[in-house]
Amino acid sequence: MNKTIIININGFVFHIEEDAYEILKSYMTDVKRHFLNSADSHEITTDIENRIAEMFTEILARDNKQAIVEQDVNAVIEQMGKVEDFEYPEDGQNFNNAGPFNRGTRTLFRDGDDHLLGGVCAGLANYFDIQAVWVRLAFFISFMFFGVGFFLYIILWIVVPKATTRADRMAMKGQKLDLHGFKKNLEDELTAVRGSLSDLGHDAKPFIYKTRDFFGDFFHHLGVFFGSAGRVLVKMLGVIVLMTCFSLLIALIVMIIGFLAYGKMGLYHIFPFNVLEYQLNTVILIAAFLLLAIPLLVVIMLILSAVFNARGLNRAAGSTFLSVWIITLGVVIYYTAKVSADFRHEEKFSQSISIKPTASNTYYLSLNDVKYLSAEDSVRLSIKEHFNNRVILDDDDADDVESPNNVSIVIEKSDVAKPVLVESFSARGRNDADALANAQSTTYQFKQQDSVLKFNRHLEKPLNNLWRNQEIHLILKMPLNAKVIIERPLARYIDNLNIYQCNDINKQHDAPSTTFIMTADGLQCKVDTLVTVKPYLK
Amino acid sequence: MIVENTQTQMRKGILEYCILSIIGRDETYASDIIAELKQAQLLVVEGTLYPLLTRLKNNGLLTYNWVESTSGPPRKYYTLSAEGRNVLEQLDKTWQELVFAVQTAVKKNNSL
Repeated sequence: MNKTIIININGFVFHIEEDAYEILKSYMTDVKRHFLNSADSHEITTDIENRIAEMFTEILARDNKQAIVEQDVNAVIEQMGKVEDFEYPEDGQNFNNAGPFNRGTRTLFRDGDDHLLGGVCAGLANYFDIQAVWVRLAFFISFMFFGVGFFLYIILWIVVPKATTRADRMAMKGQKLDLHGFKKNLEDELTAVRGSLSDLGHDAKPFIYKTRDFFGDFFHHLGVFFGSAGRVLVKMLGVIVLMTCFSLLIALIVMIIGFLAYGKMGLYHIFPFNVLEYQLNTVILIAAFLLLAIPLLVVIMLILSAVFNARGLNRAAGSTFLSVWIITLGVVIYYTAKVSADFRHEEKFSQSISIKPTASNTYYLSLNDVKYLSAEDSVRLSIKEHFNNRVILDDDDADDVESPNNVSIVIEKSDVAKPVLVESFSARGRNDADALANAQSTTYQFKQQDSVLKFNRHLEKPLNNLWRNQEIHLILKMPLNAKVIIERPLARYIDNLNIYQCNDINKQHDAPSTTFIMTADGLQCKVDTLVTVKPYLK
Repeated sequence: MIVENTQTQMRKGILEYCILSIIGRDETYASDIIAELKQAQLLVVEGTLYPLLTRLKNNGLLTYNWVESTSGPPRKYYTLSAEGRNVLEQLDKTWQELVFAVQTAVKKNNSL
């Protein structure tokens, strides 16, 4: 006694024993898979099913029974033939049915069949089994980051061999090197040739293809040169590139360890780090490190494997590197975008400060070069909390990096009879309110001591505020006929005066100060008729 | 590999010619074609025939009628279309030429 199953073949119902059903089912699965890639697969399998149904009906009638058993199914399959015995597969049919899932290991080659320049991107795409367009995109983006992509591309072009033989091309695409593989490869290729013949008119046009032909020629000749000069040159080049990469990598590692261990405090005011929140610096540092180190590492490994036949990158490591690198690239792009959004709006506000007129109508403009902070300054800058009571020296060197020229002074004629200083603060921010808040949080120290007007060299911002291009524009308005004596250190902060020219006229190139007179047309150089007196030189 | 390939190509062409020729005689059912081809030792299994018939039909050389059957599903009976008939005539001619060509070439080989 056996269990039977009821099956329906295109509208005809049969009782079939369980064992027989399993055989029939696996046979039909094979048949369907065999014709899977054929355009007529449905029609063909339906024909075959109908024929099977007919044979079953005949068998049941002949033997005068009600259920199909195992021998019946085997007899039908014998009549119909096993899939392996089907001859003459149609064009485009996947005969061995290896499919894209059952691939051998791949070898890195440059793809000469699908290239824009040297076929490096297509080769990498083949290696990682992704579409070439993504690799090209990644290279293009990395071109913009310090040209990483460019150098990587050139190096890969030189060290990665081009797939020349059919076996190379198949190894590149991970196809098995057997008879079926060869046959499939040949068929694919013929289809591609037919396709490209019809596309020829379209392909011939774009500029990039012409450029490619030119570069192709160039590198072909370069290749011939290297070929004739022997592999020695290539190996020497490999060694040079390898050593460069190694030293860059070591430098990078030393730098990141240095920064992470000691450098944080000293780093916060240096350019790329002063725009970001302090806590994020570590993230940015690591991202930047990986962004630079991974290509170097990959280049080193590729050179080792290509030139010195060492074991190269395997696919898993390659994919990991690529994904980590893309992630770090994403991180850097994200923060760049975020920070640039914080610079989108600019706001400014102005305030006027009255300056006490002096009896002599003479003013000395000097740079506040007090290196030690005053008692008020200490309180204002919360010295105790921030610097552990250490003595703070003014850091001249930090000027240019932290806040490039954030103080500028213009001297104009005053409309009233006394001098006025207009302080105009400006800053950037993610919106107008933010920008204004950034501008308002800054302070500027200006002091008048009788006839001496002391300008500070810095615009000061609270320690935890980020650099948002905070600037101060000072407009010093001087009454008519005022005598303005500008001391030399202040000269570089003043925009609208050519102090050096005035010194030239007076033949006092090293004068510690320069004298101007305010006229109706603005400040004029006071030409000293007694140049020999040199009252300020001791 | 080359031998295999050549054999496949030769058999493929001849098989198509024979199928057209068999259908050209009369309206024919697939299993009748199989029977004849098996007799001629050109074909061993039925599975090979169905894709070929479908392709010839899609190329416009064959048409078919559904005919009710007492033993199972309705059957497809194939006939040649006008174009199919035209192709068959050309193939007949080509076959004669090929027979002549092969005989001549092989005869020369044998006489050497």
